[in-house]
Amino acid sequence: MNHFTEEELIAYQLHESSDEQPIRRHLETCSECASISDSIAETLRVFSAGPVPEPDLDRNWQRLRGNLSVLAPEPRRRWMHFWTHILAWPAAGFAAAALVLLAFIGIYAHKATKPNYAINGHGPLTTQPADPNIANHLDAAERLLTEVNNASGPLDNVTREQAHTLLLTNAVYVRQARSSGDLAEASVLEDLGRVLTTLDNEPPTPESAWHLRFEMNTNGLLLDIRILRQNDTPTHTQQ
Amino acid sequence: MDKAETEAIREVLTGNRDAYRVLMDRYFRSVFRVAFRITGNEADAEEAAQEAFLRAYNKLPGFRQDSAFSTWITRIAMNTAINLVERRNRDLSYHAPRIADEPSADESTVPVADACTGPEGILLDSEAASLRRAAMATLTPMERTAFTLRHMEDLPIAEIAAALNVPANSAKQAIFRAVGKLRRSLAPLAGGVQ
Repeated sequence: MNHFTEEELIAYQLHESSDEQPIRRHLETCSECASISDSIAETLRVFSAGPVPEPDLDRNWQRLRGNLSVLAPEPRRRWMHFWTHILAWPAAGFAAAALVLLAFIGIYAHKATKPNYAINGHGPLTTQPADPNIANHLDAAERLLTEVNNASGPLDNVTREQAHTLLLTNAVYVRQARSSGDLAEASVLEDLGRVLTTLDNEPPTPESAWHLRFEMNTNGLLLDIRILRQNDTPTHTQQ
Repeated sequence: MDKAETEAIREVLTGNRDAYRVLMDRYFRSVFRVAFRITGNEADAEEAAQEAFLRAYNKLPGFRQDSAFSTWITRIAMNTAINLVERRNRDLSYHAPRIADEPSADESTVPVADACTGPEGILLDSEAASLRRAAMATLTPMERTAFTLRHMEDLPIAEIAAALNVPANSAKQAIFRAVGKLRRSLAPLAGGVQ
């Protein structure tokens, strides 16, 4: 015989069960479940509602009234609250907020006049060829990275010097790209700078882990450089 | 919400504190009643009801009058009373009745009832009443609230669940757990749980 659980019998006694009929029929034949059900009913009877005392309204009102402040509708209060805060702002904070706003407007206006394309996205990285020397710089960087990518063992001194020179010139071009608002080009050059820094500072030991880091850092960088170089060559036709 | 209530709220919001008396006269008894069921004693029920009315007053500027004030104040009262019970449980846990062979007022102990005596007779005396209070004290505030409001005040589970801000099934389970706990607490009187 399948018995009902205590929970099911509690639900039955509280008239919250959806199986009232089956439970009732079961209780008529199962003394075990009937006993539990009776025990639940007895519990509910023992804990049935007792009398509730009558509160003293006047006394409670007097106590409450002393704590009541004078209210006003919320919308007005919020409006006043807002202006109170605005006026209470320190002058420095207000000036800072105004500066942030001006900077935002400046950047937005600049962006609006100079479309920017995502790296490796559709279309060119830049729409205006920059300094032709950048093309040479990118060309040199690409050759260096390709060479290092295919090398094994510690870096030789010539490669190190080349990396060091490229690192110095790269910093100039990063700043130039930033100041001209070409964020896509600046981003690629910054990535290149990190890789060149690794090459420049890596100790000349065969055990060094520069290869692993180099592979990680050049992931996609070479492609970006090629696209960038393509765009920055003087022969590039603007689309 | 009827016109008198709407008018009273409008007056309160224009700075007339005494207009709140209209709402208090209407609902303090029912709020006190709910609080009494949850807290189990008159002093705490009064404190919870007062606090509920004070909270409602302070929140009145944001009260959306498309819902009933009675439902709103009852919900606040339930939460206030539950918070009070939780606070009391933390503060008074040292003073809860403990089981001992001999009852002692000094040590707040009560004896386990004799299983040979019938439950009806035992529950009539003060020791049994203490045991009953102790049984209620084993419930969590949520179990106690859900159980008392459903069983003693006959409130629908949906309303209890809404007031406790839990799903209806959680409120129902809390009630079932409460009844189960109380039944086991009464086991010494009835000769053991079956």
